[in-house]
Amino acid sequence: MQPATEPTDDVLVAAAAAGDEAAFEDLFNRHRRQVGRIAGRFFAQREQIEEIIQDTFTKLYFALHTYHGTHEASFKAWLAQISVNTCYDQLRRVRRRSEQALGELSENETKDFSTQLRAARSDIEGALISRDLALKLLTRLSAEDRLVLTLLDVEGFSVAEIAEMTNWSISKVKVRAHRARAHLRRIMRKFL
Amino acid sequence: MFKRNPQNREHPDRAGKLVLRAAVADEQEIEAASESPFLFTRVRARIAERQRENESGGWQSLPLIAWRAIPAMALVASLAGGLMLWTARPANTENAANTPAVGFGMYEDALTDTTDPGVEQTVLSRNNLSHEDVLNIVIERGEVEKKK
Repeated sequence: MQPATEPTDDVLVAAAAAGDEAAFEDLFNRHRRQVGRIAGRFFAQREQIEEIIQDTFTKLYFALHTYHGTHEASFKAWLAQISVNTCYDQLRRVRRRSEQALGELSENETKDFSTQLRAARSDIEGALISRDLALKLLTRLSAEDRLVLTLLDVEGFSVAEIAEMTNWSISKVKVRAHRARAHLRRIMRKFL
Repeated sequence: MFKRNPQNREHPDRAGKLVLRAAVADEQEIEAASESPFLFTRVRARIAERQRENESGGWQSLPLIAWRAIPAMALVASLAGGLMLWTARPANTENAANTPAVGFGMYEDALTDTTDPGVEQTVLSRNNLSHEDVLNIVIERGEVEKKK
C-alpha cells in the first residue's frame, strides 16, 4: 500500500506521457523489481534480467500514451503484459541463436540429470535439479511452450490471465499448454 | 485400448515442473539485477537512441516500408491484370469465332505470323472492310494504273 502523499501509478504515467522525466524515473524505481521477478522466471543470468528490465521500460516509455488505466492494479497488469511479451521475444531470439547448440546434453550431464530425477521421485519436495541442466534442457522447448508452461506451472497464472497477458485466445492458450506439456513429458521420459 | 494410463504421465509431469522451477533465477540474482547501478541511465540511453532512429527514419526504415507495401502492390497488380483481361475480352462471342479480338493477344500473333490467315482477318476487321470492299479497291487501283 502506497502512502497517501505519493502519486499513484496513473498520475505518474500521465505526467511521464506529458514529458516529465522524473515521473518516468519514479515509475521505473517503483516497478523495476516486478519486471525483474518476471524476467527471472525465464532467464537465470543477471545480464539477461537486466536486459529484459531495460527493454521493458523502453517499450513502456513509447507506449505511455496508449495507457488508459482506471484503477491501481491495471498499471501493474499492463506492465506485466509488456514484461511477458519482452521475455517471449527474447526467448525466441535466444532459441533462434542456439537452435542446435544448447539442447544437447553430454553423457555425464545425462547421467547426472537422470540421477537427480530419480532422486526426485522419492523426495519431490527436497529434489535438487541443477539449474544449468534445467536451462539447457528447456532450450528444447519452443519459446511459446516455455512461456505458457512457466506462466502456468511456475507463476501459477490461470489460462484466462495468460490469454490476457499474451493477447492469445483462451483456446490457443489451452491447446498450447496441452502440446507443451506433452512435449516436456516426452523430453522427461528420456531421463526417467 | 488406446487410453493412456494417467499414472504414466504423473511422474514425467512432476519432473517437468521441477525442471521449470529449477530454471528460475534465485531472489538474490533478481534483486542484484533490479538494483544494478546505472540501470535507469541505460534505459534513458536506449530511449534516446530509439528516438533518434524514429526521427531520422532514414534508409533503415525502407525495408520495413517495402515489406508493408508488398501486399498492397500485389493487390494493385492483380486488379490491373484482371482489368486488362476484362477490357481485352471479345465484345461479341459470335463475332469472336470468326474474327480475332482487337487488341487481344491474338491480334499481335496474327500480325507477326504471315502464314496465318489471321493477318488478313485482322486487317479487314480493323478497317471495317468486307471482302467486296477489298475487291472494289483492287479493281479501282487497277483502273487507275491502266489510265496512267
